[in-house]
Amino acid sequence: MSTILRTLRNLRRIGLKEYGHQLQHIGDTKAGTLIGVDRFGNKFFENLEEELPLRTRWVDYKDYREDPSQIEPGWHAWMSYMVDKAPPSDPILQPGIRVWEPPTHRPNMTASRSAYKPYSTTKPKYHAWTPVAKPRE
Amino acid sequence: MLATSRSTAAMALRAKPSTALLPVRAGSAAWISTSPSKPAQTGNVGLVSHNPSPSLAAAKARHEVPLPSQEGTKGALQYALTTLDQITNWARQGSLWPMTFGLACCAVEMMHLSTPRYDQDRLGIIFRASPRQSDVMIVAGTLTNKMAPALRQVYDQMPDPRWVISMGSCANGGGYYHYSYSVTRGCDRIVPVDVYVPGCPPTSEALMYGIFQLQKKMRNTKITRQWYRK
Repeated sequence: MSTILRTLRNLRRIGLKEYGHQLQHIGDTKAGTLIGVDRFGNKFFENLEEELPLRTRWVDYKDYREDPSQIEPGWHAWMSYMVDKAPPSDPILQPGIRVWEPPTHRPNMTASRSAYKPYSTTKPKYHAWTPVAKPRE
Repeated sequence: MLATSRSTAAMALRAKPSTALLPVRAGSAAWISTSPSKPAQTGNVGLVSHNPSPSLAAAKARHEVPLPSQEGTKGALQYALTTLDQITNWARQGSLWPMTFGLACCAVEMMHLSTPRYDQDRLGIIFRASPRQSDVMIVAGTLTNKMAPALRQVYDQMPDPRWVISMGSCANGGGYYHYSYSVTRGCDRIVPVDVYVPGCPPTSEALMYGIFQLQKKMRNTKITRQWYRK
């Protein structure tokens, strides 16, 4: 996918500091236009002309220790090629315009204190079986 | 069969007695509260950086024990061991070799993960056919009672450290075949599971997200710091 010329070309565009940052986290050298920054601080980039299909939109996370669920729904739709226009230029993708929408986006809270803990309030349909044997005479 | 002996046997089989659950369930709902009581320390809980949200936490003062991932680093030795852990965890995340335990239709989605659209090779994931060479076992599909000893044997053959991803409803808890006579109701009855991927079958994106969750779990693993702690 990546060639030396492409890497050098993108390195010349983005500079050494961003090159090291991308190599640390993305593992590639990509140059594109900054489309927007979401409320948390993730930066979203796009390069439709030069990148391969399905690699034309990418995100530079603010916190790389987290997982992709920190992307907000509108930006997720844009990242997944469901919409053409990014949330800053699309009125229906704006956060907070729907009444049922939570005010802040919440990521996947697995492995944290707020993780979902299921429990059942119904009677179990089967029980563990404990064999009762009469002792030998 | 007496109902009392049945219930006592079920109680004896539990790791914790179920009476421990009752005051929690009857008490305040603060344990399912989604807002952190200490928002300043856990900076990455809410995604908005100026997260207000001490709304539900004002109910009752709780005794907070920090999670292992929330404990700070104290002392020079812990800093050194943290660096060692980070190096080890980085190496573990970068080459995750799964043992493919494809049992049913979930395996097709697992195969899609290796195709160019999702391209697991960029994450360093290479499917291995031998349990001796693999780090993580992806249990994809319905685990039957007949297959369960083989699954356990394959798991026992994997070298430490090893992880298990349970993929799909059938591997999670029996799924559609939960009440079948021949199906193991979840592969966590056989092997310890790290990540459950829901879905019937889960998409390849979901499996990849499960792998990301496993990598996140690896990042928070304290390897050398565990024996250091008393």
